[in-house]
Amino acid sequence: MNEAHFAKIRGIAADLFQMGREQITAETSPAQIPAWDSVQHLNLILSVEQEFGLQFEPEEIDQVRSIGRLAALVTQKVGNSR
Amino acid sequence: MPIVVRPYSEEHVPAVRDFNRRLRAGGAPREFSFPESPVPRWLPRGEGRKVYNEFFLALEDGVVRGTYAVKTQEFSVAGEVRSIGFYHHPYSEGIVDRAYSAVGVLLLRDALRRQPELFALGMGGYDRPLPQMLMAMKWAHFLVPFYFQVIHPGRFLRRMQGLRTTAFRRWMMDLGAFSGAGWLGIHAAQAWRRLSRGSRRRGVCVESVASFGDWADELWRECQPHYSMVAVRDAGTLNVLFPPQNAKFLRLRIRHGSRTMGWAVVAERREENHPQYGDLRVGVILDCLARPEDAPPVMAETAAALAARGVDLITSNQSHARWCRALEQAGFFAGPSNFIFAAPKILADRLQPFDQKKLTMHFTRADGDGLYQYL
Repeated sequence: MNEAHFAKIRGIAADLFQMGREQITAETSPAQIPAWDSVQHLNLILSVEQEFGLQFEPEEIDQVRSIGRLAALVTQKVGNSR
Repeated sequence: MPIVVRPYSEEHVPAVRDFNRRLRAGGAPREFSFPESPVPRWLPRGEGRKVYNEFFLALEDGVVRGTYAVKTQEFSVAGEVRSIGFYHHPYSEGIVDRAYSAVGVLLLRDALRRQPELFALGMGGYDRPLPQMLMAMKWAHFLVPFYFQVIHPGRFLRRMQGLRTTAFRRWMMDLGAFSGAGWLGIHAAQAWRRLSRGSRRRGVCVESVASFGDWADELWRECQPHYSMVAVRDAGTLNVLFPPQNAKFLRLRIRHGSRTMGWAVVAERREENHPQYGDLRVGVILDCLARPEDAPPVMAETAAALAARGVDLITSNQSHARWCRALEQAGFFAGPSNFIFAAPKILADRLQPFDQKKLTMHFTRADGDGLYQYL
């Protein structure tokens, strides 16, 4: 997982779930955030896709079970360069 | 184990049963139950059939985590006939377990990959998760107007559970029913609409038919160019949607002299203790077709035919502006609608400018999954 990717995604998640950045860790998952329902999951995916200029396949969306997994997936798709 | 989406087959039935059980145990609404058979009861796929349902499952190591269905049907979009999917019954384990909140997105993306030209219809209002997801994905959307006409005001006032929600309202409605003031008020308002806008036409007659024949094909060919988006309503398709052996549907052919002006399919819905309608006899105008200029007499004759059958209330959802006006001319009032049409960009782009084209799209209760309950 690229730290820069994680930092950006942490910012997106903090805005979306209206939490402090420091409260979002790589392990943060829907189970810990009551507001993280299916609609917010989509909003998170769409925001990350827009930020990084990519599109997740349905199979990849299932892998997004924590912020760290999402950051790792972004790193895998865009490489370490961005 | 990753979640994969696969067509529903016989081997998955026990897993679907378990999925339904988990949703119920988790407090999901009662209607959130996916069919426990891979062969749809409604519109199964058959050889040469152009209207059919298909079921899909999101599976995690053989465990069902989500479901959806797509009804494929031919539509005329800007004059071109295309196969388009209606996305329905998307249920996700995420409803009861947030660990699966990704499943709703996964289902929708999978459906769009299989059939990019999809639409959604109904959905119960903008506060529900599916419309909220579609809005987030910037689907074009609008509310399909809802109309009603009260035939028996006394029964309506005493039994319309959806309005009798407080002690004061119940008292007022009972007062209106027993004093006759409600009867007078409702009849006067509806009659004023009919008289001031006059939609019944001399020489127009209505007949009940057993099935759709060549006359329906001819009418379809006449009507198709008048609608920006409309499901193919030729005789073959209509006889699949409204099977001649199904006596719950009343098929009405409306004629002026020897010319077929249009048709309508109506049905009666009667349940004990329905949360909205109580035990009222509700006549529903499920579907209809005519050239837009013939909509007023077609709606007027259809409403009159339903009233003659003794229903207490008539309801209809219509998207086309001319059909909406026709209902108003026939004495109907607009009510709050929770019936949403939504389409992704790829489909909405064929209907530009969407804000204008949506007024000439023809969507009714029959275009979603509204016919399922009349099996």
